[in-house]
Amino acid sequence: MIPRTLRFGLLLGTAGIVGALADQGITRISRAQEATRPSVQLPATSSGAQDFAERFVVHPEHLRPGGMPPRGVVLRNPYAGNASAIATGAKLFISYNCADCHGADGSGAMGPSLADGRWHFGGEPGEIFESIYQGRPEGMPAWGALISPDQIWMLAAYVKSLETNANPTTENFTGEAEARMGH
Amino acid sequence: MSGPAASTSTSRVGGWRREVAFVLLVVAVSACSRERGAGTDSAAVTVAGTRIAAPHAGAAGEWRLPAGDYASSRYSELDQVTPANAKNLHAAWTFSTGVLRGHEGQPLVVDNTMYLVTPYPNVSYALDLTKEGQPLRWKVRPENSQVAVGIACCDVVNRGAAFDNGKIFYNLLDGHTVAIDVASGNLLWRTKMADMSRGETMTMAPIVAKGKVIVGSSGGEMGVRGWIAALDENTGKEVWRAYNIGPDADIKVGTRFKPFYGVADTSKNQGATSWSGDTWKTGGAAVWGWLSYDPELNLIYHGTSNPGPWNGRQRPGDNKWSAAIIARDLDSGEMVWAFQPTPHDVWDYDAVNENILVDLPVNGKTRKALVHFDRNGFAYTMDRGTGEVLLAKPYVPMNWSTGVDLKTGRPVIAAGKATDQGAKVTNICPSLEGGKNQQPAAFSPVTGLFYVPTNNLCMDFEARDVTYVAGTPYIGGSAPEVAGPGGYRGEFIAWDATTGRKVWGIKEPFPVWGGALATKGGVVFYGTLDGWFKAVDAHNGTLLWKFKVGSGVVGNPIAYTGPDGKEYVAVYSGIGGDMGLLIAGDVAANLPYDVRTRGSTLPDLARWTSWGGMLFVFSL
Repeated sequence: MIPRTLRFGLLLGTAGIVGALADQGITRISRAQEATRPSVQLPATSSGAQDFAERFVVHPEHLRPGGMPPRGVVLRNPYAGNASAIATGAKLFISYNCADCHGADGSGAMGPSLADGRWHFGGEPGEIFESIYQGRPEGMPAWGALISPDQIWMLAAYVKSLETNANPTTENFTGEAEARMGH
Repeated sequence: MSGPAASTSTSRVGGWRREVAFVLLVVAVSACSRERGAGTDSAAVTVAGTRIAAPHAGAAGEWRLPAGDYASSRYSELDQVTPANAKNLHAAWTFSTGVLRGHEGQPLVVDNTMYLVTPYPNVSYALDLTKEGQPLRWKVRPENSQVAVGIACCDVVNRGAAFDNGKIFYNLLDGHTVAIDVASGNLLWRTKMADMSRGETMTMAPIVAKGKVIVGSSGGEMGVRGWIAALDENTGKEVWRAYNIGPDADIKVGTRFKPFYGVADTSKNQGATSWSGDTWKTGGAAVWGWLSYDPELNLIYHGTSNPGPWNGRQRPGDNKWSAAIIARDLDSGEMVWAFQPTPHDVWDYDAVNENILVDLPVNGKTRKALVHFDRNGFAYTMDRGTGEVLLAKPYVPMNWSTGVDLKTGRPVIAAGKATDQGAKVTNICPSLEGGKNQQPAAFSPVTGLFYVPTNNLCMDFEARDVTYVAGTPYIGGSAPEVAGPGGYRGEFIAWDATTGRKVWGIKEPFPVWGGALATKGGVVFYGTLDGWFKAVDAHNGTLLWKFKVGSGVVGNPIAYTGPDGKEYVAVYSGIGGDMGLLIAGDVAANLPYDVRTRGSTLPDLARWTSWGGMLFVFSL
């Protein structure tokens, strides 16, 4: 898989990647609405970075920084709402084995549901990109070294397309559930 | 208002011959029972010709190994709780493990101390049973990578610890085996055994014999290459490791290897040549289930998981030794015999279910038997010395096979029930959860019967092409499930392995995903997904007592004697595992970011239970 040193680099946090994306002119891409590949630079795994990684306690709140993402840059998905990109994303979702973790149509299996409108690490386009690119604690692999940023945006577009009306706050157990018992 | 209710019924399997067998059995048992008052020798009350292959580990009032003994019998010699007084059982005390998710497995009791291991993060506790309130002697929180949570296929369960020589041994989800000094709680050693970057995690319960701790890994759905290994109990150093697929040297096939079937084929490296190309390298065959050991034959018995991926087109051949039962020498790991209940499995029928080692009278002759209730729906009564199948009969409703050919040991596949890439094969029974899954059965020499928690589910199976990406699922198929014939989804049955017949059964609304405990007192215990813990009469299945615990039961009851001399029965409550996490999907209440809709298999389960993590202890 991904070399451990690279993983440390990936875990260095949101700020580094957002910064790198901003450096690559990501906002220009969203204006252009085209399949430009943002070439994301990884933080170097210098000895300094290693020291930092060793001191860094990885909690989920560090990766989605306290629910307060850094201001100043908003990442937009160049493929948002693009039907053909979403269809490609649906195929990628199967071929990269996303479906076997997150369930068919993102309904949830080993990994959490992506179709319930709720997001552990944020549902903004940039946050979904980061989740795929850099991975998340509890087993989401860092795909940045395996999947091109272009395809990650297509996956993100597909995942966002799943977010329908499936966000129940109440489950009512009268009637139907009992009727379905069959005994 | 009526809820889901279990109902006792006699079997539809077997007809009059079963009735006769049952009557003969009752006669035999009552004849034996008369001798009970005369002496204390436990052999006096056992059914003639039956013997558990290994003695209970430690004193009768202790529980030192996952199944109580090496034979995997889950039989306790305690007899204070009887069918006459079981109605007086009540909760004596409880303990919260502090962890939610699936509590498969069971606690241990040694020298008036109880040892518990939680699901991830695999905290262990030692509780002092001699003091009021059962205070902790110690609590151990080993380092355990959080990454493992997303690599485990079917919840982050742990199936328990094993005790030997003042130490307990258990596995961490992130692939380490640990040893803890029970006197101090000190971590003695921690050895990395499994590789998460290849999709391996560890959930199974080790056994320890002759100073060797035997372990295996999970990951049959992740394209792992399955193995079993022995560690030195004092140093934590690996003594041997045997793969289950690949060339002879790797799988430890040598001159001693004599499979009962296919002996004419003496070609080398069948563990690799029965696969196409290099597909064996990602072929599954993980050892995530229960282990048994016969001290007289010095053989370890273990199963192997499904071959990977589920899509059989990607791995033509018999796929040896996936979906297999394997006997190995304890000292060297050498394979002595192997048998595939489901060669070239295309239904996800792992063969990891427990192998219960009992001498049984079969066809008028006492045999050194191994009894195995396979995922594929057949109950196998085998010769544990040779791997010969003596009997193979369906123990749950099934339709994928019309029977096992005893000349070859192979199942005869029913027309139209083999799954294939690009095809949707409908109504296959049992489903991929199997006639039984990890929930272990128990055996009682008092009745000569096996007590088996079962599933009754069927599936539609669609296989598809899948690419191997290390550390991610390697499945290539989907298999939605529905209730099997009759509409109930589980049954707790009593099974006569000498004839291959069901003696009685208690139908349950949900799959029975918790294990069984048989006691000398003639009472059998099990728990249900909807949170009932039940005591039933070992002879006829009459419900004697039940108690609604906090969360669904996927764990296995044990019996022990307290410092007060009383018999206690302990069980985890805490729904999860494959059934709780994947199939029900919606029982969790603590995940605000994940409100997945109900699965189609058990859409009604969330009405009856929610997540938990408690030990319940009962006594008279």
